[in-house]
Amino acid sequence: MRRFGQAISAARPRVVAALAARLRDLDLAEDAFAEACTSALVAWPNQAPRDPAAWLWRAALRRAIDAKRRAAVRERAVLDTPEPEPTPEEALMAAHQPIPDERLKLIFVCCHPALAPDSRVALTLKVVCGLSTQRLARAFFVGEPAMLQRITRAKAKIAGAGVPFEVPARDAWPERLEAVLTTLEIAYAQAYEDAALAGETAGFAVEVLRLSGLLAELVPDEPEVLGLAALVRFAEARRPARLGDLGAMVPPDRQDIGLWRRDLIAEGATLLDRAAALGRSGPRQILATIHATHCARAETGGATDWPTIAALYDILAQLRPHAAIAINRAVAIGEAEGAAAGLAELAKIQGMETWLPYQAAFAALSAKAGRRADARAAYDAALALGPAPAERLYLEARRRSLTTT
Amino acid sequence: MQYMILIYEPEDAYAGEAGQAALADIVAKHMALAGELRAKGIQKDGAGLQGSETATTVVTQNGQQTIHDGPFAETREHLGGYYLIDVPDLDEALAIARRVPVTDGGKVEVRPLIVH
Repeated sequence: MRRFGQAISAARPRVVAALAARLRDLDLAEDAFAEACTSALVAWPNQAPRDPAAWLWRAALRRAIDAKRRAAVRERAVLDTPEPEPTPEEALMAAHQPIPDERLKLIFVCCHPALAPDSRVALTLKVVCGLSTQRLARAFFVGEPAMLQRITRAKAKIAGAGVPFEVPARDAWPERLEAVLTTLEIAYAQAYEDAALAGETAGFAVEVLRLSGLLAELVPDEPEVLGLAALVRFAEARRPARLGDLGAMVPPDRQDIGLWRRDLIAEGATLLDRAAALGRSGPRQILATIHATHCARAETGGATDWPTIAALYDILAQLRPHAAIAINRAVAIGEAEGAAAGLAELAKIQGMETWLPYQAAFAALSAKAGRRADARAAYDAALALGPAPAERLYLEARRRSLTTT
Repeated sequence: MQYMILIYEPEDAYAGEAGQAALADIVAKHMALAGELRAKGIQKDGAGLQGSETATTVVTQNGQQTIHDGPFAETREHLGGYYLIDVPDLDEALAIARRVPVTDGGKVEVRPLIVH
């Protein structure tokens, strides 16, 4: 299936969504799609058909209808009067309609606020993107049985509680869209964390890239949707430069701009312009603008524009009073106005001493301020808090640079 | 689908004189909502419950049944009343659940009935 992987993953959201809308059953839709993919292996010996989605839709629908009919017969247990099998012509006739576009409905179902946020993320990546339970379990650091249970429970709730397969009513739209955006943000945060490391989970960020682009295509007039799609593109553009030769993390202002993906930066800029034209700002657009400001080095070739980034964090901190944003804001102020100003802002954040980003920021600002003993202690504290390998290497190098001179 | 809307409120929400005034206000709002839902054919049933000090629980364990004073879960919130409604899906049930009047800290749980 690897040969047609690209065609199949591209077709998946549309086909699975159309199946789920028709069958009102996510499991049946997923199973039918999987079976259609298996038969594609046989039916597409050398190359994919001109319209792989249409082919898969027809094949999957035929299988799903067969499966449903068999189940209905079993249910009634009328063994002596079997349902007539549809002739191939009948099945084809039934299937020869264009694939209805139900993708937005599917996304809204998988991201319904009646599901726990973790379940929404897992379900969306599983059903819409087709990530395996095994891969999701690895990406979210849980066991495979636990991940399977999370997904099974979410599907059972959708079916049992009567979650409708509909685009929400206009008055419920803001809350429902927020749930979708939050889901994608959690998914991307996870992808951003783990995909700094190559290997098994590296493709995961690609799925979130695709998914955020799909949402921007389906909901082109919601600025926060465009902002999120832009944000993911700017962040992904820098991925090839995020690790140095020895596998250590490289912060954005020191990355080799020659490694950045200009195509993604351009896409992000277009999306952000479209969002701005709609005239309703929001946290994802601000965050995307911060990323865009980092990426601007690709054009200017010069230093990072920290004053602009600090000003953007001022606005973002108002919209999202989270510790992580307050810490990033302090770091940006430290770069823009000097280490003392940054440390003063960091001192306002209470109760975060056992959090890695806090200690890393405190260490960096202390080092910048020439307070070497404080910096060393904070780097030690940060290293004791279990950083990921790339960040560990980075922090260790910073720590060493304080002892050698 | 039929949904049970279960209303949980802090036990002491309507204590004292101010509480009684608040209760009168909430009850009036319930009457208005129930009247509207019945007129639309949405509400099948519903009632307020007496306080959890009137609750008695039958516990079945190891084949033995014992009677206990009080509600099954000793929490600060108690089940104060319910609506039984019939609407097409969860989104509509939740839209009604949002309109159920509760005191501050109140919670409204929405549960579909088992369909036979």
